[in-house]
Amino acid sequence: MSPPTENVEPGDLGPAAKADLDRAFEDFYRNHLRDVYSYAYYKVGNHHDAEDLTEQAFLQAYRHFDRARRESDGRPLRPWVIRIAHNLASNYYRDRSRRPQTPLDNADPIAARHDTVAIAEGREELRRVMANLEHLSDDRREALIMRFALGMDNREIARALGRSDGATKVLIHRAIKQLQEEMGDE
Amino acid sequence: MSDALSGSSWDVERLLADALRPIDPPQRLSGRVEDTLAAVTQAAAEELSDWAEELSDSELRALRDPRNWVRPVVAAGAGGVATGALVLLELRRRSRSKSESGLRALGGGLRSRL
Repeated sequence: MSPPTENVEPGDLGPAAKADLDRAFEDFYRNHLRDVYSYAYYKVGNHHDAEDLTEQAFLQAYRHFDRARRESDGRPLRPWVIRIAHNLASNYYRDRSRRPQTPLDNADPIAARHDTVAIAEGREELRRVMANLEHLSDDRREALIMRFALGMDNREIARALGRSDGATKVLIHRAIKQLQEEMGDE
Repeated sequence: MSDALSGSSWDVERLLADALRPIDPPQRLSGRVEDTLAAVTQAAAEELSDWAEELSDSELRALRDPRNWVRPVVAAGAGGVATGALVLLELRRRSRSKSESGLRALGGGLRSRL
């Protein structure tokens, strides 16, 4: 069990400690940039807003990084920064009163996102699963984005969504089941 | 027939793994975020430094009143915790020849809000 952390703000740190903190944040940023960007992109559906959200997420993360690091107790900080991005995305929709511009709204949605052989072959089933993904509730869709696009495990997803591990497991199970049913109905 | 369709059920997890791939951020984004972080920190540091230099003795006295803490807190918020130290150091430097008790309270107030 780790000792209780003191409430020391970065502003109180000496130059060496501050430099250490900045180096740690730089590593953190490089390790998680793709995760945050992927999450933002699948949330908002376009590169422009995904870039804005990613930038804002890391700015917020920088402000609170020292405290988050001390309070993480050795746990990964990825769920924390994804939760920041999640909250920013929620504000983004609320402030602009709009829904995500899903790639499905575009003429060639999946190809616009990534260029794979499967996509080049125009696999219809990918389009269908993406279309049905949009029918899911926000929390189910987000859990699947975290699982499949970011490769997060149940515990990480639970922390990012602020749920229990058990509730998250059920959430993902139901999301996949719903998708299977909707795909089967078509 | 699609590999993802087995019998009458879709292998949804396989389709999802195929469709929801990680997205590489544009090259420009990395530099943009780093530039923004540096610019915000620098701008806030300069603003806070200028602000602290401008304080008159009467303003310093006024800042001992918690009702007047909005300005430094808002300014500090612009740069976040990275610049919080500057506020405190600047105030501490200005106050060495003054009464320290009020500024200590101000520093505590700022720290609690950063």
